[in-house]
Amino acid sequence: MKKILSKFILIFFVIFQFESLAEEKNYYKELIADWSRIFPDQNRNAAGPKFFKYIIDKEITYKDFTEFNKLYCAVSGSLIDPNSEPDFIYAKESNTGEKICGDYYKCCIPCSCDIMKYSEVEKMKHKFLDGLEEFYVFTIRNPCNKEDFPDRVNKNYFCDGEKINNNQVYSLNGRVVIGLLHEGRSCKKEEIDFVKSHQVTGRFCELRNNTPLENLKSGMGDIFIKLAR
Amino acid sequence: MKSKMSNFLNKIIILTILIIPNIVNADFFEDITDKIVDNPKRLSYGISVADINQNGKYEFIVTGFGYPNLALSYDNGILINIANQNIFSDESRKTIGVAACDVDRDGYEEIYFLNTDTYSGIKKYSDRLIDLEGNKFLDMFEIEKNKEDLNLTAGRSVACVDRKGNGEYGFYVSNYGGPTRFYEIEDKKIKDKSVSLNLDKVTGGRAVVSGHILTDRSDIFAANERGPNFLLKNDNGIFEDVAFDYRVDDVIQNGRGTALSDILYRGRLDIISGNWQGYHRAYVLKDNQFKDIGNSKFDKPSRIRTIISADFDNDGYDEVFMNNIAEPNKLFRIKENGAFEEIILETGLEPVGFGTGAAVADIDDDGILELLISRGESKEQPLTLYKAKVDKQSKYLRIKPINKFGAPARGATVTLITNQRKHSKTIDAGSGYLCQMEPVAHYGIRKNEKNFKVEVKWTDGTKNLIKIISLNQTVTVKQK
Repeated sequence: MKKILSKFILIFFVIFQFESLAEEKNYYKELIADWSRIFPDQNRNAAGPKFFKYIIDKEITYKDFTEFNKLYCAVSGSLIDPNSEPDFIYAKESNTGEKICGDYYKCCIPCSCDIMKYSEVEKMKHKFLDGLEEFYVFTIRNPCNKEDFPDRVNKNYFCDGEKINNNQVYSLNGRVVIGLLHEGRSCKKEEIDFVKSHQVTGRFCELRNNTPLENLKSGMGDIFIKLAR
Repeated sequence: MKSKMSNFLNKIIILTILIIPNIVNADFFEDITDKIVDNPKRLSYGISVADINQNGKYEFIVTGFGYPNLALSYDNGILINIANQNIFSDESRKTIGVAACDVDRDGYEEIYFLNTDTYSGIKKYSDRLIDLEGNKFLDMFEIEKNKEDLNLTAGRSVACVDRKGNGEYGFYVSNYGGPTRFYEIEDKKIKDKSVSLNLDKVTGGRAVVSGHILTDRSDIFAANERGPNFLLKNDNGIFEDVAFDYRVDDVIQNGRGTALSDILYRGRLDIISGNWQGYHRAYVLKDNQFKDIGNSKFDKPSRIRTIISADFDNDGYDEVFMNNIAEPNKLFRIKENGAFEEIILETGLEPVGFGTGAAVADIDDDGILELLISRGESKEQPLTLYKAKVDKQSKYLRIKPINKFGAPARGATVTLITNQRKHSKTIDAGSGYLCQMEPVAHYGIRKNEKNFKVEVKWTDGTKNLIKIISLNQTVTVKQK
């Protein structure tokens, strides 16, 4: 009898506890609330680096960091709906030339092609609230000395004259960090084959990446390409 | 025997688990729509509560979009339309926003009807400002001298603002695709003062509230679409937009309905802002910034229209009613520390209701608020009327501040101070979406609550403290 009553109390307690513990951090809501802080002039074209800088400057855990970095497109600067699925891609590591595989959260499929072709990855270390972590980030060359810096991108977001503006974006080894490669690691052969044979990262990207810039009609990638090439 | 007993208890456990949520969520509202006499399907939008015929009783003013504007008066247990003059009912124009306040300091609240015949930008028909002369309604905008500054831009909501704190109200007109307007009487003429007051911004205006948000004067919060919200701080009657600094600009959400509410029961008004298919906000001021403290049930995106904060069930805790269009309505109780507890609705859910506006008033003077919902937009539907099922032992207190001109002191703040709470309410100047509530602070009384005092903070920032001797009454407080 006692046992049953204990069970009853336990079930009762658990049900009501679940209710109160259900509240989880809403990363997307936080990004939306802070959007005008990240983009004071409301121009977010190719502004993945602004998102990255905003996130890395927060006092957060590594889990928070990875979750925030799933919610914007490193290429276009668009927000990405929560629960979106990433593309499995690879990109060249700057130092070694090695292919690094991982997940890339994109706003639309052309961005997966653009990031593979025009960005490189670098290994980065950072101390979060719960400890030091090492991960791969997407980077592009310093665009600040480009004569054809794209009009539709706010140059002040990236540059202080010809230098990278480290108050606005995060730089690593002289390159601008534009986003996080999730679950980044050295590619295995079968992973490279998977990317190359995938209908997006393989066939579609081959077509897109061989199309002259002036003929590109999809995605925000043309702005990014002008910035990153 | 033991096993039988065990089976029996197991059954009881399962039954209890099934039953408990239903007990907790017993039906909140009672549908009293049948009290509305002659309630045809129509396209209705904003609702205001004002005394249109100066008989000392409030009416629900319901706008009609190509249908007559109504004034529903309570008499002998029924709500019946008493507006029968063409200038008021105005079936030919498409009215959506409405607010009433005393612009000419005669004690009578003039009624601003915002007409809109286009979604955005230039419109064909201007708005009306209805005054009562004798028994006749007239449109102040039709008087020759007032025709210079007509509002010919599509708009949505209207709110009354006593920007100088002297009882001389103006109307903030939340326009869409054209500049915001601010109408006031100056040199006996109605003038748009928006330019000189820093209010003439172009946006997708949707909702507006005014009251003691930041200063001791009437500030304004305007929830906008396709652009940042405005938080307009009153600096000696001129406004400065501080929405960005106070973190309520919410730039990539689309504002729709808004209300002032003392979310933490701490004696100050904070902001509730419903976003169209976006996160609903419960903004609480802390360290000169508003923090959104809504939980995941509260902030869940919906097709929100009007949002109302009021104590429907007289339990001493405010509820937040979210009126959604073509989607079920929602109701939350604000518990201590800003905890939003969802009340599961059955009556009043209106899953296929095309809600466009709603307002509360104790229209039958029984100490319990009535909730009138207007519906329409893409489908003609009748009005609906609800009242909370209230514990018969419950008590209430209603405070009705009247300014020195004898008009409702819209924009004033009433604070109930007891052994359990310091609870502020605004005397509604315009809120929700397109709407305006009754100009009375309605409080339900909590269990074991005592030592009742009421502070009225007038629109000029001065205060009166009143000791309350007995409950279950409406106390009229006159400004000296």
